[in-house]
Amino acid sequence: MTGATVAERAEIRAMARELARRELTPRAASLDAGDQDARAACWRLLVELGLDRALLDEQHGGAGLDVSDLLASIEELAVGDGGIAACVLLSNVALATLASEQLTDITPGARWVLISAGSSEMTVSDGKIDGRIACALGAHEADGLVLSLTSPKPVAVAVSAGASGLTLQRDAAQMGLRAAPAASIEMAGVKGSVIASNGAAAHALLRAGVAAIARGIARQAYEMAFEYAQARRQGGVAIIEHDAVNDMLAAMAVRLACRPVLAAEDSGRKLDGTRALAVKIAATDAAVATTTDAVQVFGGTGYMVETGVEKLMRDAKYCQLFPEPNWVAQDQLMRAERADRTA
Amino acid sequence: MTALAQQRSLSEQFPRLTADGGRPNVRELERLRARARRFAEAHVRPRALEIDRRTGEDPSWFDWDLVRAGAEQGMLSFLIPKPAGGAGGLSTQAAVVMEELCVACPGIALIFGAHALGISPLLLGGPSHWDGVLAELIASESSREPQLMACAITEPEAGTDVEDPDLLARARISSHARRVPGGFRLSGTKRFISNGSVARWITILMPTDPRRPAETWTCFLVDAHSEGFAVSRAEHKMGQRACPAAELTFDSVFVPDERVVGREGDGAPATMIVLACSRPPVGAIATGIARGAYERVLAWLEEDRAARGLLERQHVQLALAGMEEEIHLARQLYMDAATELDHAALGGVMSHPAVRALGHVPASIRGRAPVRGWLSSERARDATIALLHRTTSERAMTRSLALSSMAKARGGDVAMRVTGAALELAGLRAGAVRAELEKLWRDAKLCQIYEGTNQLNRIEVYRGLCRRETIACLPPLRPIRLDTDASAHTNGDAPAHLDTGALRHASVDGNGGRS
Repeated sequence: MTGATVAERAEIRAMARELARRELTPRAASLDAGDQDARAACWRLLVELGLDRALLDEQHGGAGLDVSDLLASIEELAVGDGGIAACVLLSNVALATLASEQLTDITPGARWVLISAGSSEMTVSDGKIDGRIACALGAHEADGLVLSLTSPKPVAVAVSAGASGLTLQRDAAQMGLRAAPAASIEMAGVKGSVIASNGAAAHALLRAGVAAIARGIARQAYEMAFEYAQARRQGGVAIIEHDAVNDMLAAMAVRLACRPVLAAEDSGRKLDGTRALAVKIAATDAAVATTTDAVQVFGGTGYMVETGVEKLMRDAKYCQLFPEPNWVAQDQLMRAERADRTA
Repeated sequence: MTALAQQRSLSEQFPRLTADGGRPNVRELERLRARARRFAEAHVRPRALEIDRRTGEDPSWFDWDLVRAGAEQGMLSFLIPKPAGGAGGLSTQAAVVMEELCVACPGIALIFGAHALGISPLLLGGPSHWDGVLAELIASESSREPQLMACAITEPEAGTDVEDPDLLARARISSHARRVPGGFRLSGTKRFISNGSVARWITILMPTDPRRPAETWTCFLVDAHSEGFAVSRAEHKMGQRACPAAELTFDSVFVPDERVVGREGDGAPATMIVLACSRPPVGAIATGIARGAYERVLAWLEEDRAARGLLERQHVQLALAGMEEEIHLARQLYMDAATELDHAALGGVMSHPAVRALGHVPASIRGRAPVRGWLSSERARDATIALLHRTTSERAMTRSLALSSMAKARGGDVAMRVTGAALELAGLRAGAVRAELEKLWRDAKLCQIYEGTNQLNRIEVYRGLCRRETIACLPPLRPIRLDTDASAHTNGDAPAHLDTGALRHASVDGNGGRS
């Protein structure tokens, strides 16, 4: 349980905001282009601030943040780069899933990721894992994976990157969140450490975190579009004077103003899984709409990579597809709702 | 192809194509479409992802082999008039080709689309270009070194502004075509020019007086080998990468008088006609992109193990039905706009007896100095404009432009929605098809931007359809006498005996005798 004061929590958010502004935004293009040095430099900074394991207590080198603080920090980081924010999210979810004794074996600064898998993709039997995942966000060059399976029965397994029988291959086609490099995963009799976890908390945090990333991306898109619309002149006036542009900016502002509340239990350490699904769907759909309109405000300039706004559109689209496409998330949401009412 | 389109021929889907004895043209159109589809399946789709990857790393990389393969299938000449050796197509032909190519790869299709866009001002320039650059393009098509064209309108400070005559009057134009003995010297920068870095010939719009851009906007034909011309930048785009977008710099580039396309100062209305002609093909590009995504995701759902059982989900069924619906509507819109333009607005010019008669004159005679001199004379240019006024009207062109704009804007939105929905159905773990869907989604966004943003296009729908305005989209008439048998004049003198009163009447009656 965190003992952070209100002032300390505000400071954490400010720190994340400042880090995004000073370190991530200037590197966003390099991160998107797959620059490994830029990614490593950003990761080192995040580790120094303890954001890679922010939920863990001090005993395990963590900052002892609660979930809402972590989500706020992730949103701030995503203003700078959605991919880096995704690395922070995946690391925190993975490490929060591990048992205390497993955490002590993890080298400080190592990057772990949580991968959720369906029963058609991976099977676990007697601690050995077999199967294939076509695309796992953040898995490329990760130091360890926490595999979370929800069926046939919920189970999580920790696997270090060097495990025998594990093959990771970079997903070269990855379109968005490229600073969290994706890979295909092949496992053939890989030995892992089974963790007692039903995965529900991890999945709720994952979805709430993706919603936070989407909000950060949308905020950045809005700011860029607003600034450009004031500076660019067409028809003899700044384009913000044209209703066609003004309406798009207004729609962005409205979407950002509709901030959903993630009801957290136990002083913010646990999330409501059903609500996390709903928030993820709403926030990522909003981010796709906002970033698409932001490119539109920029016109041809926005379609050019160097402007940096089309990257936000690609990143937002990946949020809509991760950890599952929104139509699947919608399906899960309704199953959960129906189960609640039946119970 | 979507199921509905597969089950019906072009003439069944679009009966207007067969109007006015157009049945032979439909057969030609079917053959052109089949050729485009064969080319797309054999050459375009297999290379699409690799070219996208390579141009993503190096935006100046260009696949000339692909252009050569397209040239063999007539993809560079479908818009060139028959007298110049081309297929004599207009907006409909360009649109049908674009949809087929875009199913495979919109970026590669854009190479041929931007080439057609570069040609289109020359069609308005009249027969003087038949035996010049257009004949050269035809000759190059069958050689190992095909030549490409581009059209340069956009400037760093003027994007939307150069696509509307009212906005152009207030635009911040930095380019300038200065009058010098024997021609003009062009200076300035043009931006985001598709094919700009690979084109041999560029039709370019510049003002001869930057203080009065709308009144002096003029089209020129520039040889990319000219002194003072440079490609100053190759843009790194989000999508449609196979076709390079370049920044072009003109440093006092000399253009002789005979390479002024149309008349000095006619550039603004000419641009509107070009856009009316090019927007249906952009609607078709968008339709092709949507169709490409739909076909790929449907095949994945039907065939891939990872998608097993998904087709039984009603959500998936409804999503697919919605895609089919949207694609069908987008196709109807662009075909309606294209046939409106070709039949009611512009087609009359190309099928006019005077033009047909000139087309029957052998190129060897048309190429003789006196005839060539007359064809490129100011009076011949006046005659071309007069013919335009006789066969159409500003109101008919405005309505056509509005329909074209509607097809373009709606098509762009459909492309975004369908590609986005297809990607969402497949998800990140769909395997190989995901890369293709992601590429189509990136490609789709440009359809909402180029050829005027969707917002500008909808303003033109408002003006042309909701308010029934008439936009100045025909170059003005000048008092001339048009020879209806121009081929008889080979001495460079002005042709005689046309009643200009009748021409004026045709231009001011509000419907040009057509609508």
